[in-house]
Amino acid sequence: MTKLTRRALLGTIGAAAAASALPATPVFAADRSIRHYWWGNPERDKRTFAVIDTFQKKNAGIAVSGETIGWGDYWTKMATQTAGRNMADLVQMDYRFLFEYVHRGALKPLDEFVGKSLMIADFDKGPLDGGKVDGKLYALNIGSNSQVMVHNTRAFKEAGIDADLINWTWDDFGKVCEKITTKTGGKMKGSDDLSLMIETFESWVRQNGREFYGPEGKVTATAEDVASWWQMWTDLRKAGVVRDKNKTVILDPPIAESGIAVGDTAMSHYWSNQMVGIQAVAKDKIGAAMVPHKAGGKPGQFIKPSMFLSLSRDAKDTEAAIAYMNAWVNDPEITGILGLERGIPCSPKVRAALAPKLTEVEKLSVDYFTAIQSKVGPLPLPAPKGAGEVRDAFMRIGTDVVLGKMEVAEAAGMFIEDAQAIVERAQ
Amino acid sequence: MKRFFARNAPAYVFLLPWLIGFFLLALGPILASLYLSFTRYDMVSAPRWIGWGNYEYMFTRDRRFWKALEVTFTYVALAVPARLIMALGVAMLLDKGLRTIGLYRAIFYLPSLLGASIAIAILWRQLFAADGVVNQVLAMVGIQGASWITDPDTSLYTLVVLAMWQFGSPMLIFLAGLRGIPRDLYEAAEIDGTPRWRQFTRITLPLLAPVIFFNLVLQTIDSFKTFSSAFIISNGTGAPADSLLFYTVYLFNEAFKFFRMGYASALAWFLLVIIATFTAIAFFTSKYWVHYENERD
Repeated sequence: MTKLTRRALLGTIGAAAAASALPATPVFAADRSIRHYWWGNPERDKRTFAVIDTFQKKNAGIAVSGETIGWGDYWTKMATQTAGRNMADLVQMDYRFLFEYVHRGALKPLDEFVGKSLMIADFDKGPLDGGKVDGKLYALNIGSNSQVMVHNTRAFKEAGIDADLINWTWDDFGKVCEKITTKTGGKMKGSDDLSLMIETFESWVRQNGREFYGPEGKVTATAEDVASWWQMWTDLRKAGVVRDKNKTVILDPPIAESGIAVGDTAMSHYWSNQMVGIQAVAKDKIGAAMVPHKAGGKPGQFIKPSMFLSLSRDAKDTEAAIAYMNAWVNDPEITGILGLERGIPCSPKVRAALAPKLTEVEKLSVDYFTAIQSKVGPLPLPAPKGAGEVRDAFMRIGTDVVLGKMEVAEAAGMFIEDAQAIVERAQ
Repeated sequence: MKRFFARNAPAYVFLLPWLIGFFLLALGPILASLYLSFTRYDMVSAPRWIGWGNYEYMFTRDRRFWKALEVTFTYVALAVPARLIMALGVAMLLDKGLRTIGLYRAIFYLPSLLGASIAIAILWRQLFAADGVVNQVLAMVGIQGASWITDPDTSLYTLVVLAMWQFGSPMLIFLAGLRGIPRDLYEAAEIDGTPRWRQFTRITLPLLAPVIFFNLVLQTIDSFKTFSSAFIISNGTGAPADSLLFYTVYLFNEAFKFFRMGYASALAWFLLVIIATFTAIAFFTSKYWVHYENERD
């Protein structure tokens, strides 16, 4: 006879309690104030609030209030604030949404501050340029990252897996999933089911020699790309070596509920900077593998700016905001607190200062970053307006495939049609 | 004219707070949204007039619009009767003249106060999750529960159950209505040996008709506007697979996620038309089934 588990009950009560307690930084009496808004996780929030404290200590006249929320709700809240002309002065920006926000006139260019109050002359040029739109710098890179298959090193060891996790292929991946599932008697599946992860799917398209979005923002991925992707995962699902379909269709779950964190699966797809956050909630030691390659295909992964700091249209005290921004990427005390949690910093000085003090998982992400340098393709063009909606459509139609309510081929055709229509309508 | 004011002035004084609120806060935005519904407006650049474009797109090309209608109508058709039956049932139980009735009334009303809150929606998601409390209870009696929330076939029903649970306000209104039915009617029926069920269909229901009508209209309007619980449970997107794509959730997404304020305004006006139509139908048919006690035939 099963019992009501403590965890389920506590979780339920906890959710009810947590819903009423949202964190907020106290705003101290100060003449000037700025707001900083970011998407986070517990680890990132802890570090960011520490940065805010440090900055306020050093700049007595400026009060910073931090607002944080999970990725799942971040863009909804941001859009609402944009509409209400009430954006935070500094907002965390993502490569996928940058183009969209710039073209809606929601961000201010930073060029006039560069070299005066924003000192970034010695930063890596490639990662820095990722924040440019139409030749102007709209977003300051606060870390670079790349896709990674985070895996459970204990499970891999126990299943005796010796695959080369940098150069492996999708065939190898399937075999690894099978081995792990067999070894644990199905208790732990090989991997999360990535059917709905458009981020990984974009790598798949690149491996096939195309980009998801071509020049002028047109959708250049084909229905065959989509169908082959969903078919592969359907086969793995039928073989029972990936995570349960009911868990798969929960969209954008917090890190703490991911397969690798709760021990349901031995692999999950993430961005490399997220490894710090995952290790903080995972029981076993994690390791880093590349997204499997297509045998004889093109490189699918790329190194991208993981996050930006942008100055919003609604910022009033731009001077204070830029001072804060500058401290973020230059002040050794602050960069020391941030570490690599948001990605690899693009200041060589900061990297050098961090190197001797890295934690184990941070060292893992640096090593991973070094190992993949020659295996990645160029940064894709910024996503066009409507990319956020295309992402929703991918998850929506993919859900029907995962639950077996729609044939793969039909769904794939429908998605490409929808994606094209969405992008066209958004222009 | 003078007499009208003399007679109604106190009423208008009492209405003043609402009237001020309406003219200052509601009327302007309402008219603005009517204008915006004929424009393309992304909230950052100025609105651009496109005539009937939004409405045309809505009816001819927008598949998700029809899906949203389907979800919302299904929900209204299930949730309204479910909640009313629940409310009437509980009201009749409480109408037995218990001494602690005040306490029970408060307890049964509680879910309605909480029901619309975000916390309850999150709680609901946890209760009906694949490994949630509901399935654990079912497992105790040997039933393998479904993954209620993440399965598009069942997700809507979890919201109907939530709606049913929030029976508080119609229940209070029913209770007041039941109290208004003269006891002597039941006593007379009792003496005649009328069975309980017939007492219910011949006395309670007809005399309660005005209250049922009132609740029906109110709950229908309310159900069409269901938002927060659907928004939270579906992660704000109408997931899984648009099975929780309530009209309001779709409208919100169009407006605040995809920056189509003009289109969202058009959607909002169409929702108004739907609600007005249903209310009108209820009013026109009411003369055939609602009888007021003090009415002369």
